[in-house]
Amino acid sequence: MAALVLPAGLLVALLLVAPMVLLFRISLNEYSPTEMMREATTAANYLRAVGDPYYRSILLTTLTVSMGSTLLTLGLGFPTAYWLARMESRWKSFATIVVMFPLLVGNVVRAAGWLALLGNGGAINSSLMGLGLIASPLPLIYNTGAVVLGIVAVVLPYMILTLSAVIESIPRQVEEAASNLGAPSWTVFRRVVLPLALPGVAAGSVLVFVLCMNTYASAVLLGGPRFKMMAPAIYDQFVRGNNWPFGAALAFILLTITLVLTILGSAALGRRYRRPKEELS
Amino acid sequence: MGSLVLEALAKRYGTSVAVQRVDLDVRQGEMVALLGPSGCGKTTTQRMVAGFVAPSAGRVLIGGVDVTQAPPHGRDTGMVFQSYALFPHMTVAANVAFGLEMRRVGRAERDTRVREALRMVRLDGLEDRLPRQLSGGQQQRVALARALVVNPAVFLLDEPLSNLDAKLRGEVRLEIRALQQRLGLTTLIVTHDQEEALTMADRLVVMDRGKVRQVGTAEELYERPANPFVAGFVGQCNLVEGAMEGTGMFRAASGALLPCAATPVPPGRHVLALRPERIEVTPAADGSARLRTATYLGPLTEYHLDLDGTPLLAIRPTPTAGEPLRRLSSGDAVTVSWDASAARLLSAAQPEELEP
Repeated sequence: MAALVLPAGLLVALLLVAPMVLLFRISLNEYSPTEMMREATTAANYLRAVGDPYYRSILLTTLTVSMGSTLLTLGLGFPTAYWLARMESRWKSFATIVVMFPLLVGNVVRAAGWLALLGNGGAINSSLMGLGLIASPLPLIYNTGAVVLGIVAVVLPYMILTLSAVIESIPRQVEEAASNLGAPSWTVFRRVVLPLALPGVAAGSVLVFVLCMNTYASAVLLGGPRFKMMAPAIYDQFVRGNNWPFGAALAFILLTITLVLTILGSAALGRRYRRPKEELS
Repeated sequence: MGSLVLEALAKRYGTSVAVQRVDLDVRQGEMVALLGPSGCGKTTTQRMVAGFVAPSAGRVLIGGVDVTQAPPHGRDTGMVFQSYALFPHMTVAANVAFGLEMRRVGRAERDTRVREALRMVRLDGLEDRLPRQLSGGQQQRVALARALVVNPAVFLLDEPLSNLDAKLRGEVRLEIRALQQRLGLTTLIVTHDQEEALTMADRLVVMDRGKVRQVGTAEELYERPANPFVAGFVGQCNLVEGAMEGTGMFRAASGALLPCAATPVPPGRHVLALRPERIEVTPAADGSARLRTATYLGPLTEYHLDLDGTPLLAIRPTPTAGEPLRRLSSGDAVTVSWDASAARLLSAAQPEELEP
């Protein structure tokens, strides 16, 4: 059996580990405007990324937008996931496809669609101006709100599908038993459904958070030129600035922070799940 | 504590009828079993009592109060689910305490009552275990304790023994019955197992395809079944189609003549119901019946017979080595006889087909 894992293992080694090792090596090099980069072993790129207020603010924006989007996705996704998981009619598979449908539309295409809807010359603004309700376009786009909206629309299906798989594994009788014992719906949710769904909440949130941290298209197209997140900043260093060592350092900072937060988050949720709750509210 | 009354309770899903109509009055402290094959509507009826299914028509009254519109958490029923439905993330003690917590019982009293309930079901010492660390039988006792600790007005049991092995089932049956009687619980139990219903319940409601076929004590249902369905479902029964021919004789569709003392004869097509243990079997070379097979069951022996084309089942105490019945083998001729009053004449038509 172990041999069957070999091809996939080799592929991961070749396509993921090797570039990562290479990238890490580059991040320790020195930037040179004339010869692109010089072989070195320096932490200067990392120190610059952490020390420069500009890049610190980009990192902070990426973190707050990612956490905010993850929480919003969780809040929006849970009721839908529950509804989908408990659905019994023959429309269930149809509803699942509807939930998955946004995944078929690429991020760029989707962001372009948001532009057409929310932009200054977009559908909403032009109809409101056409009706004479507003004189100048509303700032519906090129702000944090628009980016979060774009991100949530992209990641919501992942959250819903992950959660509903876990909720489906919670026997309905367990919920019925709680309400039979006198628990109103909200208490059934808080004391029974949510604790049992925590593994799904953890898995869905981790997945979504990682996707958010690496957002590119939504940030560039809906955030506008002055809005910056990590992924576009890394792209800028590699392609526009030609500063590979610094870009590589930024990439590694993004990778490390995502990894650490993911591990901490799932460990916290995991511990809560394993320990039976005995304290009574 | 209270009585349970179901008034013209019905449930339809679109055009399909799950429960056509159930009228039932369960007295305070009485245990009533809903008995029937799967799909007969017994589970839907119980779920309407618990509040998980909204009735299409009719009312549910608990302790004289109409709870038809009340949500499940406002009904004061204690239910034991077929799957037990324990909270997997809570300890045994937390499971049992849940209902008391919902009723805002203070911590000290709660702890005392949880301890008492667990002692009652002989689970003391397992308070801190998780459900998955318990055996099936222990899980079921936790479910019992959890439902009983709140002193529910109505106790609901949904196939409570179906997940236990045969040996345990007999013990738990007696235990539940003893608890129910000691606590004076008004109880509605759903089961497809007639033995379970006969041994546990004060009265039985036999259901079939959404309709109540007969309500009565175990003895009433067995001795005086109202229709062929009940006769065949409660205990084993020979059901022979045919018609009365003169007084005291029943002519089976196959042509065989069977003694039957039923008078007066109700109109319509008939079914003769004859319990197998009422049939006497005697070896006789000139007998009109033939033995097809005899099945040895220890204290009893089943004789599958053929009487002029009508199959009959007789169950007799297993004969001792010296008796002639013991030497009987397949194909031998026998005579069969029974007290003519033991054969009951039932209407072949279903009750609702007779209604205008």
